[in-house]
Amino acid sequence: MAKVDLLQGTMHMLVLKALSREPMHGHAIARWIQQTTDDALQVEEGTLYPALYRMERRGWVASKWGQSENNRRARYYRLTSAGRKQLQAESQAWTGLSVAIAKIMQTA
Amino acid sequence: MWWLKARLLLIYGALRRRKIDDEIDEELRFHLEMRIRENLEAGMSAAQAHQEAVQRFGSVLRIQEAGREIRRGTTMDGWLQDLRYGLRALFKQPKFTAIVALTMGLGIGANTAIFSVVNAVLLKPLPYEHPAELALIWSSFQKMGASRAPASGVQLREIRDRSRLFQDVAGIWVGNGTFTGETEPEQVKVAQVTPNFFAVLGAKPALGRAFLADREGPGINEIILSNSLWQRRFGADPNIIGQAVRFSGGSFTVVGVMPPDFLLSFPADANVPMDIPAWMPFQDDIYSEPRDLYYIRMLGRLKSGATVEQAQDEAQAIARQLRDGFTEYNVENLQLEVVGLHRDVVRDIKPALVALFIGAGLVLLVSCFNVANLLLTRASTRRKEIALRVAIGATRWRICRQLLCESLLLCCLAGAFALAIALLGLKLLLAIRPESLARLKTINPDWTILIFVSAISLTCGLVAGLAPMLETGKVNLVETLKESGRSSSGQTRKRFRTLLIGSEIAFGFVLLVGAGLMIRTLIQLHRVSPGFNASHVLTFEIIPPGGRSLQRNLFVTQLEEKLSALPGVESVGAISHLPLDDYPNWYSPYAPEGISDAQRASFLADHRAITPGYFQAIGGQLIAGRTFNALDTSSSRQVIIIDKLLAEQTWPDENPIGKRLNIEQFTDQGFANGWAEVVGVVEHIKAHSLLKPLRGEIYIPYAQSAREHLSFAVRTSADPLALVGPIRSEISKLDRNRAIAKVRPMEEYVRKAMAPTNFTVVLASLFAALALLLATVGIYSVISYSVSQRTQEIGVRMALGATGRDILRLIMKEGLALIAFGLIFGFVASFTISGYLQNLLFDVPPVDPLTYLVMAVAISLAASLACLKPALEAASCNPLEAIRQR
Repeated sequence: MAKVDLLQGTMHMLVLKALSREPMHGHAIARWIQQTTDDALQVEEGTLYPALYRMERRGWVASKWGQSENNRRARYYRLTSAGRKQLQAESQAWTGLSVAIAKIMQTA
Repeated sequence: MWWLKARLLLIYGALRRRKIDDEIDEELRFHLEMRIRENLEAGMSAAQAHQEAVQRFGSVLRIQEAGREIRRGTTMDGWLQDLRYGLRALFKQPKFTAIVALTMGLGIGANTAIFSVVNAVLLKPLPYEHPAELALIWSSFQKMGASRAPASGVQLREIRDRSRLFQDVAGIWVGNGTFTGETEPEQVKVAQVTPNFFAVLGAKPALGRAFLADREGPGINEIILSNSLWQRRFGADPNIIGQAVRFSGGSFTVVGVMPPDFLLSFPADANVPMDIPAWMPFQDDIYSEPRDLYYIRMLGRLKSGATVEQAQDEAQAIARQLRDGFTEYNVENLQLEVVGLHRDVVRDIKPALVALFIGAGLVLLVSCFNVANLLLTRASTRRKEIALRVAIGATRWRICRQLLCESLLLCCLAGAFALAIALLGLKLLLAIRPESLARLKTINPDWTILIFVSAISLTCGLVAGLAPMLETGKVNLVETLKESGRSSSGQTRKRFRTLLIGSEIAFGFVLLVGAGLMIRTLIQLHRVSPGFNASHVLTFEIIPPGGRSLQRNLFVTQLEEKLSALPGVESVGAISHLPLDDYPNWYSPYAPEGISDAQRASFLADHRAITPGYFQAIGGQLIAGRTFNALDTSSSRQVIIIDKLLAEQTWPDENPIGKRLNIEQFTDQGFANGWAEVVGVVEHIKAHSLLKPLRGEIYIPYAQSAREHLSFAVRTSADPLALVGPIRSEISKLDRNRAIAKVRPMEEYVRKAMAPTNFTVVLASLFAALALLLATVGIYSVISYSVSQRTQEIGVRMALGATGRDILRLIMKEGLALIAFGLIFGFVASFTISGYLQNLLFDVPPVDPLTYLVMAVAISLAASLACLKPALEAASCNPLEAIRQR
């Protein structure tokens, strides 16, 4: 399966989307994105964690320590209301963009 | 390598104790483990699982760095980490840290200590009410070359009445007196003052009252005590006011006790000591005394708004009126001089303090330059480290912050040293302070200057510390990383450092020359005889009993006989005014026979009454004629001995023996002028200052001028202090009510007279040694850095056939050029300021070739030796290794 590099900026949107379902730790976020896209998208840790920290600093996500599924201490991130608004804005922008790109690509 | 990386991650994590770091580490570790577990579940071998996970993970360090930066952005404790990083960086190079901190500490500390003294003495106003209004009024007799002379009572009254600018003018004269009564007799300094004295000064007794304006003149037997005397002699009796005390043969009523911190501040030549135990109104009617009996020191308080300059103009006008109105003042051509009290008090010490302050400033400059130089050296080695950090993603701000932190830490360390050195320095200054600094019981470090000077050093440290950062902005990273030290910025830096070190050597030279001149002055002072031999001489003050000359003379003769008989005593003599003592001087006009009236009163000499044994006891030298003997009595021919100075002034190229002088004598009717024949000539005795002879001396037999104040000199073959007990018991056997005071070896007076020079010498030498050390360190570091930068070049040269000697010459040439450059500037600077040192020197020209030469050699030698070590290392290096070195 081809591995697609995530565009800068899209990473934020994907993480926000992942967290909109339930609070998750970093590894779970990566796994969810990978599984949901049938391994099409692979999240690099080197991008994921700085993105998480940056979003936390901007107030889109909040984090706290919790218990993982295998009873390990893990850092769980959850969406804040500001994050929810951001997700909405970004997914709208994304839809607009993909529709526009699709129109171009569908031309003969 | 995967496990190593993972292990490193763990270790890295464990090392960071801080929460955020730990959290990031834990989070990443968790992620890594989960990934490994997934891989295992997918069927990989353990090793494969690990490897894949770590590879995927990418640079752990980078994530950590980024994470830390992002997460910490919201918190202040990023600084804490910088602080820790800075501390680690400093401890990694303890030698460097210690040198920088010590260097800066010494510079700042020395400056703080000196400035604290300068501030306390020169800048801080005197502790009186509106101290700027206080001024001294001196008489000045131009014709006799006598300025800063005291005034007569009539003069005081006339000035007080005529002046519109002075609120009031007071007078003071300090003599000796003896407390008698039930307890041991005690001789103390006693000030006779006009009743307004305390009001003019703006001081009040703590107990009782001051003197009353209308109670003045003979018969007013009131006395005011100092706090210490009241405590010591009267047991701090709260009911002392109104009580009668026996003092100098009379009964005085205590009307007041001064506060404990009350001290006077008069210049040394006013002979008004700082701490006066007893005060009384003038016991004579000073306004009806002879108009030319000058002994009163005048202190005036200016009206608010009046300046000293205006008062000076007015005083000149008053002096003109006095010359017109009174023949005495016309004959003596009286002038008046008004000087601000504070300015006059610091007159003697000011040149030394200012010179020392300049010295301390130079030391600060040298230490700043040295620190800048050291930091620049380190900066060039750190440029690579910084470039590397930038390459792996640290922001410029981040690195700036770290460098800033390091510099700040260094400055704090230096500040701590500085404080310690300032406190120590002040202790030293207090310990060796001369008399003129005596009013400083304690000196506290001056905080403003500590902060100010620290700020200077801080700026210097910061600029130098941030230098590598400023450069990384301009320099290509790759270039920097593989740079071999020949970039253009390297050249600029080198030129800058050459300038720094050159200046260090120049300033060091200036300080060395200053110290050298002071040391030579001290040597000259020790070498040149003061005209007497102070060793093995015990001196003490006594007021001989009796209202008449004959009685006093009899007592003195008897006492001399008794003391001569004591074991170990070689000779005994007495003098009215002991050399180098602070008792008010006796100096008056004299006139040789046969001069015109116009020339009269144009010669002035110190007058002294002595007993026949004086010269032998003090170790004076007779040049011609004879000394006095028992046959010179009050009824015999009036005779005098003069000193060489006076003889040469009065009768150049003539034999003075047998010639006659009109001099001032002291009789039972007071001072009178009379003729006396010169019977002997002695070597001049330095009576006021060891630095320069002031004026000629006339010695009169005590039998013919029995002054009431007398100092004994007893020469012994053993320890003079061993005589104190026997002398006291002899005196009490003669007269139970006789007190003696100031019992001390003559050497103590000499030591005291040398104290100001000693003070300057010790400090100047310290500064010079410091500057020499710093300059040497500076030149060493600059040359060894240069060698390290040129290693490759040196290798090539050697490979091409240059011998070790050639290399040695090459490196030494660089060092010597630097030294020569510094010396040239040092010479110019020393020359320029040499005139300023004039006042502090004795018998040494300010541009003394010997001192200049010796110091130039000293600094060149030290600096050359400092260059020699890196030069030798360069000369003995292996060319192959040198070339290979990057």
